[in-house]
Amino acid sequence: MSSSSEVLPDDFPDAINRVVFDQETISRRVGELADTISQDYSGKNTVVVGILQGAYAFTCDLINELDFPVSPEFIRISRYQKPFTGEVEIVEDVQQDITGQHVLLVEDIVDTGLTLNFLVQILLDRNPASLAVCALLDRSELRLVDIPIKYVGFQVNDEFLIGYGLDFRGSYRDLPFVATMNPQSVVPTNLSA
Amino acid sequence: MSMNSWTAPRFEHPSEQELARFLDFFTVEWRYESVCFPLKWDEEGRVIRSITPDFYLPQFELFVEITTMKQRLVNKKNQKIRQLRELYPDIRIKVLYGRDYRKLLFKFGVLQ
Repeated sequence: MSSSSEVLPDDFPDAINRVVFDQETISRRVGELADTISQDYSGKNTVVVGILQGAYAFTCDLINELDFPVSPEFIRISRYQKPFTGEVEIVEDVQQDITGQHVLLVEDIVDTGLTLNFLVQILLDRNPASLAVCALLDRSELRLVDIPIKYVGFQVNDEFLIGYGLDFRGSYRDLPFVATMNPQSVVPTNLSA
Repeated sequence: MSMNSWTAPRFEHPSEQELARFLDFFTVEWRYESVCFPLKWDEEGRVIRSITPDFYLPQFELFVEITTMKQRLVNKKNQKIRQLRELYPDIRIKVLYGRDYRKLLFKFGVLQ
């Protein structure tokens, strides 16, 4: 993982350990992705779908940089939470009919690929003209499902990240940068045999 | 197979049960310890070493092995995985090491 800044502002919480991608680096990379996507989707009926909550900021920033008009759509799935039973379901769906349209699905970070796999299957069933994935961060070490990611912002390693949409227990999503967590702020849990 | 099925297996380790729940949530079909791969045979052709990956995900044609054990045992497991890849190059297997696996559970709120 490349580090864009080691300097942490004084007024940020102790939970933040190190800035990995600062605001400027993210903004520049989002602009590069938007340029490529603008070329690829020029003249096509395109729907950009952000996956909530994590990809909200990324989706909005990306759309602002595209050189064609597009309204953001968002989709949200249920969380995996206690008592950890039941199945994933869509709790907030896209408003448009995507049949025959070119869909760009935007995610904050892809690790196992299970969330993406679920959503890709759901959206493909609606017969879009095409479906591609754009992810700000790609953490392939945990990948179980090989979903093709056409546009990747940054490759990252296995550090736990927060900021720019990524949360820790619902907090830190609104940070303008991506940072690692301070290990001392995370209570270890022993799962070893 | 799913955790809700009457045939839900007896897992050898809580981490395996947790992964099964996790896969169920994402509606990913799984089979537990469904295939045993022979790795070594004696002179009479009897299998003297084998490996049975924890999970098989038929939808992705992928075996998954969870390794949350001590380093000494991890080394032994890694050796078996290497052999498996050598003898069965077409087999796709993903090893989730303890640290990776804990991060995964942590991300999804299973570990607090």
